[in-house]
Formats: sequence, structure tokens, C-alpha cells
Amino acid sequence: MHDYGFWNPKTETLPREDLRALQFTKLQRLTAWAEARSPFYRRSFAAAGFSSDQLKTWDDIQRIPFLTRDEWMRSQDEHPPYGELPVAGPEAAIRMHTTSGTSGRTPLRALDTRKDWAWSAEMWCYGLWAMGVRPHDVGYLAFGYGTFIGFWGLHNGLEKLGALTLPGGAQTTTQRVKQIIDFGVTVVGTTPTYAFRMAQEAQELGIDLAGSAVHTLILSGEPAGSIPETKRLIEEAWGAKAYDTAGMTEISTIFMFEPKEQPGGCHIIEDHFIEQVIDPETGEELPYGERGERVTTSFGRGIIPLIRYRTADAVVKVPYTVAGNGRTFDLYEGGILGRVDDMKLVRGTNVYPAAVEAVVRGFPIEEFQIRIERVGIRDEIFLTVEPTADTTETQWVEMSERMGAELADAHEGLRFIIERASTGELPRFELKAKRLRDLR
Amino acid sequence: MTTDLLDRPITETEAQLLAIYEALKTIEGADLAPCAASNVRVALAALGIAVTDLGLVYEHLLDHKC
Repeated sequence: MHDYGFWNPKTETLPREDLRALQFTKLQRLTAWAEARSPFYRRSFAAAGFSSDQLKTWDDIQRIPFLTRDEWMRSQDEHPPYGELPVAGPEAAIRMHTTSGTSGRTPLRALDTRKDWAWSAEMWCYGLWAMGVRPHDVGYLAFGYGTFIGFWGLHNGLEKLGALTLPGGAQTTTQRVKQIIDFGVTVVGTTPTYAFRMAQEAQELGIDLAGSAVHTLILSGEPAGSIPETKRLIEEAWGAKAYDTAGMTEISTIFMFEPKEQPGGCHIIEDHFIEQVIDPETGEELPYGERGERVTTSFGRGIIPLIRYRTADAVVKVPYTVAGNGRTFDLYEGGILGRVDDMKLVRGTNVYPAAVEAVVRGFPIEEFQIRIERVGIRDEIFLTVEPTADTTETQWVEMSERMGAELADAHEGLRFIIERASTGELPRFELKAKRLRDLR
Repeated sequence: MTTDLLDRPITETEAQLLAIYEALKTIEGADLAPCAASNVRVALAALGIAVTDLGLVYEHLLDHKC
């Protein structure tokens, strides 16, 4: 049996000009598909004076209008529950996942058909194979399975690849750590924060994680997976290699993975995506090495075409030659570097200040402040609220409980620590309010 | 079909994969028992991924319930 070093040797090693030609052919078909079937794209293309048959050369890509998250959310609001991006209704889908939205009231809802969902697992297989995961491995997913997309794709990717796959949902951290040891797990999927949490738990239980069978940690959900110091600490605690990945509900899966060589960045899965880096102010595409906003076009999901989607992720693209592993996919140096908007990532959950405000303003309050801090090994989000002066303690207790429940509901269950401020304590703003402090 | 999306000749095994893919598309539209129809769609989705990965075909399969 041939020992393949790549999940897809044919496209992962394509000469760049061929890879670009493949992407362009797919883009022509995808834009035609979207124009013919999605009411949103039909309108959006027409408004921009663009038609799919105008795509003749690579430079014509600039003629395609950007898609923003706000447009998607607005479409959902105007045509609930899924908006007009999808080319078909939910009867054509087999999965639905959500991610916290920008309004605080409505999550972004994403559908997948049978093939879309199979493709989601496929993208994880590209990454798994590149990290050295093989069918003889034993995978463990340390996350709560729900409508949050989390590691669902990784779970299905491990199964598809042929690895024994253990769903670690609905477990305490102690139970998870014990299962990882008891079942001889070799590959663990987790957020960086939770990798630390499990390591801490193992230490308290007297378990030597570094001496366990685990050789690979697959990190996602937070940028920390590509921060060298954080990665080193995780690798030391586990005695295993840690590899970064990143994905998003809007595409249903990952778009980049860190290969076994750990070249200081993540390969973009370029036979399935076109990833552009733009100046967030001008929209102009930036050359290699310049930091800008990531714009993605996904060829995978059929029911919701995603074309020139502005992600607000901050990235620096570098050429494939940096990796020197035979793969011709370009890389994002250092993975996802941050955001170009005001969204914050707290334990894998998107938090938009505007969404928090939309919830908080539904209560009788005067002012509020959001504070994000690293407490020990864990990120915590604090909400300091100044209720109206006549709020009694009994009313405050009831109000803060309801506020916490609504905030959790709007943020995939994320717990906000709510504190009461005394009357007049919080700063007031006349012009641009500054209500969020990220102290991590 | 004898060439891939880059107009390069396809291999014999790629041709076999394409033939299975096309056969699944054809049979998916037939009047099949639920047990057969569902499993054909699962297989078609999987083959659809394979032929796309190999750069042989690029199309969505919503009209085939995939």
C-alpha cells in the first residue's frame, strides 16, 4: 500500500498556476450557481453591476461584491429564520448550527446539506492527515456537543479517516481526563484554554499527562493555538505536539491547518477556498507579508454560497515556500492574529459589544462596562451594571439572573459574571463610548 | 469525460470513480425504497466529495437531495 504523505496529493502539490486555474474554474461555477439560485446574491450582484459571466480573468474577482456578516444577519431578520442567502429551504438540509450574532437577539443560522456536511469533515481530514493522524489513532473530543459547531467537524473527520473516535460531551473535566488515560487516547481536540484546564485537573488528580499515549493536540476556537509561548506551555503540559486550526460556522468547517512541520503558520486549504487579504479601509487586496482582513470564498457549502465574505479576522499571508514540505498551499503566518472589528473571542465564543448592549439595554439600567480578564488559566467576561437608582436589592437579584440567562442564551451558553455598580460609579460618555476593556 | 477541470487527461481509476458517481446520480432519481434511497444519497455525497477533491468535477448536488 502506498504511504501517502498528503490527504489529497493531487491538489495539495499542484503548481501554483494550476491551483489558481482550478480555483478560478470553481469560482466561475460557484458565482453562476449563486446568481441562479440565491435571491440575495442575485440582488447583490445586480446592485454591484456584476454578473457571473463577467468573470474572465483572475483580476475580475475584484468586481464581485463583498458579503458582510451584517448583510447576512439583516437578511435573516427580513426573511426569518434563514434569510435569502440559502439557495433552498431547510427541507434540503440535514444540519443547522448557530453562532452568536451581532444583535444579541438572533443567532446566525447556518444550514448544511448532506454533501455540505460530508465536506465539512473532509476539510478536517486535510488537516488531520497533515498533522500525522492516521487510522490507528484514537481521537477524543473534549467539547459539549450542541448547536455550536465547535468540534463536530473534527469528530466526523476522525471517523471518516478511520480513527476510533470518542465523543467527550456531557462529562466533567475529571471524567474527560480519566477517559483520555483509560482509553489510550492519542489525539485530543480542544480549545487552548481547555487544554490548560485539563492539564491542571490531571495534575490535581496525580495523573502524568505527559506520560500518557496522547501525541497530538488539535487546537481550535481561539487564536492562542499559534502563539508560540502558549503553544509551548500546552505541549509541555501534555508531552504532545499541538497544532493550530481555525474555522467558522459561516463556512461550517476549518479553512486552515498547521502541518506536522510546524512552520510558524497554517496552510490554507486552497483547492476548496479562495482566501484574500484586504486593507479593511479601502477593500484593496494586499500583497504577501502585509497584515489585513481575511476575505473568504468557500467552494464547499452548496446550500449557502459564501463568496467574498469579510471575516474581520486579521491575518498575514505568506507564500507556500515558507513551509518547504511539498505542499503548494499558501499559509497564514501565526494563524489568526486578531480582529479588525470589535468582536472578542471568549473561550471559543464570539462576543460583540453591540450584542451585549442589546441585551443589557432591555433592562432598567443607567450604564454598564464589559471587562475580559484572564483568571488563572481561564478567560472570564465580567459585566458591571449600574441599575437605575431606585432598583432594590431584591429587584437587582432577579434582574441580574434574567440578564445572565439572556446573555448566555445569546452567546452559546457563555457565562457572564455580573456585578452591581453603585449609582454614578461608572463613567458616562458624550461621544464615542468605551465600554469594553480586554485585559488579557 | 476524459479530462479533469484543468483539461488534463484523467487516470483509469479516476474514470472509474467518475463512472460510479454518474451512476449514483442516475439511480438517485429512481423510485427506491427508503433504505436504498437514503444510502444511495450518502454514497453520492461521499463520491461527490472524492471527485471534487480530485479536480474531476465541481458541482453542487441539491437537485439530487445531497
